[in-house]
Amino acid sequence: MEFLRVEGFRKSFSGKEVLKGIDFSLEQGQILAIIGSSGSGKTTLLRCLNFLETPDEGRIFLGGELLSDATCKYSERELRAKRLKFGLVFQNFNLFPHYRALKNVTLAADLLAKERARAQKKEAVAAGCKRSRAAAEAKEFYRSLLAENRRRAEVLLERVSLSDKAESYPFELSGGQQQRVAIARALALEPEILCFDEPTSALDPELTGEVLKAIRALKGRTMIIVTHEMAFARDVADRVLFMADGVVEESGTPEEVFGNPQKGKTKAFLRHREEMI
Amino acid sequence: MKFWEVTLNLLEGFGTTCSIFAATLILALPLGLLIAFGSMSRFRPLRYVCRTVVWIIRGTPLMLQIIAIFYGPPLLFGISGFDRVPAVIVAFAINYACYFSEIYRGGIESVPRGQMEAGQVLGMKKGQIFRHIILIQVIKRIVPPMSNEIITLVKDTSLARVISVAEIIMEAQEYTRQGLIWPIFYTGAFYLIFVGALTLLFRYLEKRLAYIKV
Ligand SMILES: Nc1ncnc2c1ncn2[C@@H]1O[C@H](COP(=O)(O)OP(=O)(O)OP(=O)(O)O)[C@@H](O)[C@H]1O
Ligand SMILES: [Mg+2]
Repeated sequence: MEFLRVEGFRKSFSGKEVLKGIDFSLEQGQILAIIGSSGSGKTTLLRCLNFLETPDEGRIFLGGELLSDATCKYSERELRAKRLKFGLVFQNFNLFPHYRALKNVTLAADLLAKERARAQKKEAVAAGCKRSRAAAEAKEFYRSLLAENRRRAEVLLERVSLSDKAESYPFELSGGQQQRVAIARALALEPEILCFDEPTSALDPELTGEVLKAIRALKGRTMIIVTHEMAFARDVADRVLFMADGVVEESGTPEEVFGNPQKGKTKAFLRHREEMI
Repeated sequence: MKFWEVTLNLLEGFGTTCSIFAATLILALPLGLLIAFGSMSRFRPLRYVCRTVVWIIRGTPLMLQIIAIFYGPPLLFGISGFDRVPAVIVAFAINYACYFSEIYRGGIESVPRGQMEAGQVLGMKKGQIFRHIILIQVIKRIVPPMSNEIITLVKDTSLARVISVAEIIMEAQEYTRQGLIWPIFYTGAFYLIFVGALTLLFRYLEKRLAYIKV
């Protein structure tokens, strides 16, 4: 059963076509590795999936239903709801420097909690509840949501082996630790699909291992990983997609793409990669 | 005896100085933010208007602006314009709002785009992103340049005397005219104490924000 289907993604930047019609699909729980040379459009594709860019054309289906169509205009509110289906871990972490690790993880959920508590209060008042009582109940509700967020964030930090760093600021953490906090943060809102954009390429080589390990431990979730780590892609991915010049040049299982590439460009890319190592 | 009389008179002038200072800050801090948003707007006409205003205000002497705002309306339109103190405050507020707007703009633009995008992919609203992520980082970055501007403002208030607003320097010049020289130097002490207090305040703020490493 296909879970995610991307259809006909096109995107141009000032006349230059960067995505020239991307199609692919993914099953629930599968890991898709996207490889390809610099400038082939991998980041742009992830950004389109996360609604940071609007493609010029293309549709996303999730769980068999149309999630978005580039030709439709969505309100800020609709866009927010759609964004929550996806999570994104950035190449350079983008942690919030003024919040401790734990707060980085809980922030978005805490803000949602505030909105929910407010909505609950409004509803109660509309239903004829006394204002002071509605406010007290909403406050209580908000507190319980915050406690729940905190508990879940602690679990997430533990899963990326950072329980002891919950109260550290990002600048007090190594790159590898920061990226693991970023992974925990991306998981906090339970996205259906978690995307990674070269999660280890801003790291010193000796720190990539811990981050790859943390990602590996997430196996079972539906994930899309753009990576230059070929060994990792081969090892962890269920599907591999090779991009070149804005098109999907080749895709298949890791055995097919790495073991028996069909296209000249794929072969050249993989050969070049091997030479680099 | 003379010393206390002078001190009291100068204090009165200094009160005017402080009122101009406070009123300017209260008006210019938010107005500057509006101009900053305007000059970063994606709506081109608004952006051009804002940037042109900033260019004109920063490109001409504040003294000229005070004169223009005080004498301009009656001369041009034959209407009675501002009183002296309001005219000074309007001129200062506009002038400082323009300088502040450039500091705000620099501060906002220096926050990496990735910060906003990180908030967006977490489903945060624009306002939430601004309040919880961007704002504090902007404040952290603008405290040093803002403290500079604000300290300059303390001393710029002395320009108010071009339209005969009796701030502290003008009070002191009254004595100079009578042949008494020291009061004009005595005013320096008032400025120094005020600026000293501000410096301590800004240093405290910087310390409070030191935990944010950007
Ligand atoms: N906002 C933008 N404005 C203009 N051009 C852009 C923009 N974003 C990306 N591009 C261009 O689109 C092309 C694809 O960029 P993209 O970042 O998607 O490539 P990539 O496959 O992620 O490369 P890398 O492996 O180096 O990260 C590049 O030529 C880039 O210059
Ligand atoms: Mg990229």
